[in-house]
Amino acid sequence: MRDAFLTIIFTASAIAWVGSPAAAHHSFAAEFDITKPVTLTGKVTKIEWTNPHAFLFIDVPDKQTGAVTNWEIEMGSPNGLTRLGWTRTLLKTGDEVTVEGSLGRNKANLANARSVVMTATGKKLGAGSSEGAQ
Amino acid sequence: MTQNRMRRIPLVLLLLACGLNSSAQTGTGRIRGTVTSPDGPVVAAPVRAKHQSSGRIFSATSTNSGQFALMDLPAGIYDVSVPEIGLATAPFVQKNVNVEAGQTTSLNIALVKGNHGVIGDDNAYLTIRRKYLNVRGVAPRLADGRPDLSGVWNANVDPNPEAPALLPPANEVWKKRLSTALRDHPDGFCLPGDPTPTIALFYKFVHTRGLLVLLFEHEPHYRQIFLDGRAHPPQADPTWMGHSVGKWDGDTLVVDTTGFNDKSWLIFATGLPHTEMLHMIERYRRPDLGHLQVDLRLEDPGTFTKPVERHMTWQLAPGEEILEDICTENNKFPEYAGIK
Repeated sequence: MRDAFLTIIFTASAIAWVGSPAAAHHSFAAEFDITKPVTLTGKVTKIEWTNPHAFLFIDVPDKQTGAVTNWEIEMGSPNGLTRLGWTRTLLKTGDEVTVEGSLGRNKANLANARSVVMTATGKKLGAGSSEGAQ
Repeated sequence: MTQNRMRRIPLVLLLLACGLNSSAQTGTGRIRGTVTSPDGPVVAAPVRAKHQSSGRIFSATSTNSGQFALMDLPAGIYDVSVPEIGLATAPFVQKNVNVEAGQTTSLNIALVKGNHGVIGDDNAYLTIRRKYLNVRGVAPRLADGRPDLSGVWNANVDPNPEAPALLPPANEVWKKRLSTALRDHPDGFCLPGDPTPTIALFYKFVHTRGLLVLLFEHEPHYRQIFLDGRAHPPQADPTWMGHSVGKWDGDTLVVDTTGFNDKSWLIFATGLPHTEMLHMIERYRRPDLGHLQVDLRLEDPGTFTKPVERHMTWQLAPGEEILEDICTENNKFPEYAGIK
């Protein structure tokens, strides 16, 4: 008898998939460039807990010169964030975070947030139950 | 214990061989595996296998641990797919999966985050889906004996959407929308994005004897479906959401909507154009407490060469609520997308 088990394991890298071009509110690809990932570490200066999107502002020092740039980080809606366990006071001015996301297409120092990690606790915020949602 | 295990192995092999022989004789095999996302196993994911030579569709649903089994598949080559799940995960397609008679093909499906994984944009879809998987019971009824469709529903997209067929001018419009990444979608400007029930967010149904009200977290935040026997007004001004009346077909509520303007884009991220001739027919059926079967049909002789259909199963989310969502509060999209 031939080998009864034919095993094929496919990974995400091999999958042909088409990303949805629309976010809950607007076109993602019109505002951000998925091919330009960015990682930013800095201290929170402001949070806009508003619809249709919440925004996080962070001061990011340049690693070489130390010059500080204020970045604007777009997240989902307050409703979506609330359902992931966020509150509008979860992050406070002065908290240091690391944000991973994509660069804005049409505006300098704009990115979105795919993940937000608090430096003090190492916790990934609002990422779902299995990733330590607050 | 080891000895016991050793004794069992020949028996297991014998049973396995019997099973394989049986499958081999009927010329069928199977595909088994697990559906995962970066957040862990994906429960209740609809997995579809399309037999390339016959076009036959086989379906399975993943279990609480994300496992699925597509059984009794005629030997051949299959395209295996999982649709986008809410805005949480992107669609998956694996073409040319080989199934041999009497054999099991193992296929582990690793879904990637949809909508590029922006925090909060998926409205915690997978988490909430998992939370209410075990809502069971009989569908409630109104005082008049009709099914009561009330509840907060976690909407979903059609797992097997068929490609729409458009007239050439409409197709040009659609292609242009897709080529600009839906940049001009009304939703991005805080206008009603889509009158169809196809946005994977929450819909709250408030069902009374003469009126069904739908509440949702995007413009215009409500729909009224009149159940009091009235007809469509003969010459109403066209509107974004049209005029809806509902009638019962057994236990299925059939909602008929006309009187649309031509400004909305249909089926959300699909972004289909339409004319004022659009005629929308929705069929809602609540087979049990926790599920709502939603069948959508869109007719528009000015746009489609055949009606567009979508078939969804929504899940009751009894602990959730519709929250305020005032889009014009701080909408930076037009500026940040370089539109103004």
